Amino acid sequence: MTINIENEKKGAMTTTNVESSRRNFIFGSVAAAGLTVAPGMMLYQTANARSQSEKATSKVRWGMLVDTTKDVDWNKCVDACNNEHGLGNEHKSRDDQKTQYIRVVDVKNKGTGYSISLPVMCQHCEKPPCVDVCPTGASMKRPDGIVLVDRHRCIGCRYCMMACPYKARSFVHEVLSDQKENTPRGKGCVESCNMCVNRIDNGQEPACVEASDGAIIFGDLNNPESPISKILAKHGGKQIRADLKLNPGVHYQGI
Amino acid sequence: MWLHLNFNFGFNSSFVSKSLKKLPLTVAGLAFIAGINTVNANQDGLGPKITIPESSGESCILPSAEMRRQHPDLLKHDRIQTLREGVRAKADGGKLDGSLKQCVNCHAIKDASSKFVRIDNDQHFCVSCHKYAAVSIDCFQCHRDIPEGDGEFHALTNHKGINYSNIVPGTSSLTIKDMANIAPEVISDDN
Ligand code: SF4
Ligand code: SF4
Repeated sequence: MTINIENEKKGAMTTTNVESSRRNFIFGSVAAAGLTVAPGMMLYQTANARSQSEKATSKVRWGMLVDTTKDVDWNKCVDACNNEHGLGNEHKSRDDQKTQYIRVVDVKNKGTGYSISLPVMCQHCEKPPCVDVCPTGASMKRPDGIVLVDRHRCIGCRYCMMACPYKARSFVHEVLSDQKENTPRGKGCVESCNMCVNRIDNGQEPACVEASDGAIIFGDLNNPESPISKILAKHGGKQIRADLKLNPGVHYQGI
Repeated sequence: MWLHLNFNFGFNSSFVSKSLKKLPLTVAGLAFIAGINTVNANQDGLGPKITIPESSGESCILPSAEMRRQHPDLLKHDRIQTLREGVRAKADGGKLDGSLKQCVNCHAIKDASSKFVRIDNDQHFCVSCHKYAAVSIDCFQCHRDIPEGDGEFHALTNHKGINYSNIVPGTSSLTIKDMANIAPEVISDDN
């Protein structure tokens, strides 16, 4: 059941956190049914489960579905992300230089006063421009759709930051210490949300999904039987800037 | 480190003289790593002391001598297969996963106050040898240098701190001569 409420939202859009126009950002909305999921519950079973000794394959395409109509404090997800990856250990950088994997973007219709808030992380594009431009092969996409930076190869040129239309990437400006065991990160490398690849390979959901009280669903977009695919098939979802045809793995409802 | 200083000839003359004095030791250090058993035993008491923590007797995925030579190759497992391909298999079929995280967890060293020593401390397991051999390690610019937890899920060390009595009874530091005696353990250079 897709209800287009575009008419209700006509008028000038303003954004806080991001400066570019979000006219294209909001292009309709989807009424989402109440799909409550217990926190931490595993919502993804894959028909193509692989053992830890197998390579990631393109049989699986990991994705997320964010329901912005749920009354969730997205900062809980940001905190869970920061905690999982040990972000926030920069002490000398300016605030706008510090790494963030998830930005909370607030969008408001000046005409109606209608506003929404949504978490924007790396959208794990199927055709990622960040990978296209990387001169070293550091910016890479795993066969299962996860886009990440191989810091062993990153030279910090920041081309990928310029290429990413979602402003998803950050550059580490200072020497770091006290990183998390599972998320090595350091000065001179670009980084972004890696969909908690360490957790996924371990059979867990990404940290933001776990912290979202069911407002973010994670799963295999290639498997029509997975909960995320079923919900997308039944209720639909939107990709941010779908017009760019990058086919992001992150879908939204309520935008 | 001294190799680096040796390149500074034009800039700092005191470095030059220091470097020149240490040069034979640098060569000795490299000789140790390369498995050439020609460490000059007459230089007792000079130069850096290598710090080797006491072993609990358990062995790693390969015998020690092979680990000394091959650990960089082994780490490529995680650098390529794990990161880029998603393979997270355990290297020994169960306990050890062959990752740098695993190295750190097994080989973490505690100081006198029972805290893990960090990468800026000469007693750090990786630093102790690398400093001796003047081979810089970049791994820990990004990787965590100490365990997050207790780090004892496969204790190769007893976490009691540095103690060399397993190598030279009753001593707390090793000399070049001691090193010469243990150097033959290192298998010869295969490159
Ligand atoms: S959102 Fe940006 S960083 Fe993520 S895959 Fe797309 S282009 Fe790359
Ligand atoms: S900053 Fe790193 S990941 Fe980004 S394009 Fe340059 S080398 Fe590639």
